Amino acid sequence: MNTILARLNALFAFSLSVTAAVAFACFLTTNFLDYSQKVDIDVNKVVIKNMEEFYVGDRHDLGHIIFTLKANFTPVFNWNCKELFLYLMAEYETPQNKLNQVVLWDHIINRGENPVVNIRKRSNKYYFFDDGAFLRGNKLQISLHWNIIPNAGYLWRVPGGGSITLDLPESYGTSRI
Amino acid sequence: MFESLPVHMDYSGQKLAEQIFQKIIVIFGVIGFVIGFASEKLSYSIYILGAGCVLAAIVTLPPWGFYRKDPIKWQKPADDEPTTYSPLPSKTAKAAKKKN
Repeated sequence: MNTILARLNALFAFSLSVTAAVAFACFLTTNFLDYSQKVDIDVNKVVIKNMEEFYVGDRHDLGHIIFTLKANFTPVFNWNCKELFLYLMAEYETPQNKLNQVVLWDHIINRGENPVVNIRKRSNKYYFFDDGAFLRGNKLQISLHWNIIPNAGYLWRVPGGGSITLDLPESYGTSRI
Repeated sequence: MFESLPVHMDYSGQKLAEQIFQKIIVIFGVIGFVIGFASEKLSYSIYILGAGCVLAAIVTLPPWGFYRKDPIKWQKPADDEPTTYSPLPSKTAKAAKKKN
């Protein structure tokens, strides 16, 4: 504290400590909030085909899903939310695996962008390949989940709302997808 | 680089400077937290804290006069000190020091 540089050092170190305290207080104000939201999911069309998965070299079931999604994420964007990562996940059970989880579609909403999601008759963004050939006649549960990328704190994973259960068709589709 | 400038504070001035910058930064941190929470923007909190940091730097970095009001009172050099420098003090001088 005798020289300017020593005082600058002490001042800077103390400012950093206070910044960390403010960030931690910000985390505390948002950690206990309920981030779940009402989501409307509707599945318009499902087609299942049996196709060769080239990486595996085997014929697996491929699902094609056209869905409609409506949700409003305005309340989620509080002062500790920098980005929102939405993903639509399909869950089902097969004789091979007790739980299969496949991400069909995802979407990023940055802070300041339109927080209302309203998409109609969109097809899945990623291939919905089964591990085997067990999609026909199976029960499929589709729900939207999201991660909140915060300014301070950890990555919140919100188990999504708007879960919908549907029965997959009994036979392979022939229409082009 | 800084040797030619008078930058020192006296001991009570250093303590005062430390207390002043801590108070300024904490107050600006609290104000920034409240404003950021009210306006839903964490960036405002950080900017206000940065402004407090700059203000604290202006107030406490230069050795202003009120940090130098209490200078150390040095003792006057004793008259009976030997004027010639002796690298090794004599045994009697050491004993006298220990007694004191």
